[in-house]
Amino acid sequence: MKIYFELNGRPQYVEVEPGESLLSLLRRLGMKSVKEGCGTGECGVCTVLLDGKPIRSCITFAPKVQGKRVTTLEGLGTLEDPHPLQRAFVEAGAVQCGFCTPGMILTAYALLQENPAPAPYEVREYLVGNLCRCTGYKKIVDAVLLAAKWKREGRWR
Amino acid sequence: MRLRGVLRFHWARDVDEALSLLRAYEGKGAILAGGVDLARSARTDIEGLIDITGTGLSYVREDPKGLRIGATTTLSELLFHPLSREYAGGVIAETLRLVAYPALRNVATIGGATVSAHPWADIPTMLVALGAEARWRNEEKEEKASVEELYKTQFRGIFREAILLELVLPHWDGVFVFEKIGRNAGDIALLNVCAGLGLREGKIAWARVAVGARPERGERLPWLEEMLLGKEPDENLWKKAEEEVKERIKVGSDRRASGEWRREVAGVLVRRTLARAAGKAVK
Repeated sequence: MKIYFELNGRPQYVEVEPGESLLSLLRRLGMKSVKEGCGTGECGVCTVLLDGKPIRSCITFAPKVQGKRVTTLEGLGTLEDPHPLQRAFVEAGAVQCGFCTPGMILTAYALLQENPAPAPYEVREYLVGNLCRCTGYKKIVDAVLLAAKWKREGRWR
Repeated sequence: MRLRGVLRFHWARDVDEALSLLRAYEGKGAILAGGVDLARSARTDIEGLIDITGTGLSYVREDPKGLRIGATTTLSELLFHPLSREYAGGVIAETLRLVAYPALRNVATIGGATVSAHPWADIPTMLVALGAEARWRNEEKEEKASVEELYKTQFRGIFREAILLELVLPHWDGVFVFEKIGRNAGDIALLNVCAGLGLREGKIAWARVAVGARPERGERLPWLEEMLLGKEPDENLWKKAEEEVKERIKVGSDRRASGEWRREVAGVLVRRTLARAAGKAVK
């Protein structure tokens, strides 16, 4: 079957299997920032934004994005021009192996759109479904708070 | 994605079409809303997925019967809806904030949570305490039952041939509160409690208490509710309620917690929730 959706601002008209996961579709389309971790929606590494809201792509059937907007990390920043959230993760030392980072950044992006001035506990609460096995979370929370500060200073929207 | 063998995906335009498709698959079709449980299902017999998110069942409304919540309303939509935040002292928002995490709440639906009704789940405990009514339809007729009664039946069989339409939460002249114990905010409950109280002339006019994840699904404690009626809400009463719960509640052990621990904690959580509900009701 064919579906139409918008991926990182670009229209897509693609063939999908009816039972295919969104994760599988996105990786087929070259979005390699979207990783498979647990495959059951528990760990958060496959997080993408659907119409601006975080969802788990590993437990989302690909046809469900018909007519919607999907954003992956590739849609936020590039190597040459990283998004301020990506810069904040680097500056705060919030990346070690990096496997969880795309999901963390997209979830944090959604949080900061909803709440530009989160308290540390609100960051922890929002990221509770994103697991990291390396950093111990403190630096990740620091990075999100740093990006939030930059956002409030008008350095990004 | 564990589900294998899916051959077709349908976007149903209304409930009639969804029911007709469901019948056509003769047991090999599945209704899909949020899909959280379905995607994780290891079933290999499902050939057709029938998406019902476009059938007009996403809404939160209020009428004289109570709060009507469409089955495909997501947990996030419900959590942030002004009507649900005002309902019965804000218990819906209080509960949903403790259910999973934003990325799951953005797709999981109230209907899915009601029908899946995992024993450890928080939403069934809340629905049972609140006296929620479920309305569903099969190809022949529309039916309704209280969620509490529904859970005493083989309800999963009903929803192989029917679609849950909405939940109706009655109006309450009082306040409900919810508490759970899990390893973190996104984790499933080791025990959960939803308790509500109404006060009249300084005494308890009605009380409803449900305890879930015992590890069985949430059930009311009628003997406790009866004991509270007509009493003045104070610390002594909550302490007595705690002792009563520790003595009489039916709990069990599983790999997450022992029955002994659950018995102890159930008493404490009931005491805390009752005290908090009474405090809010007085305000």
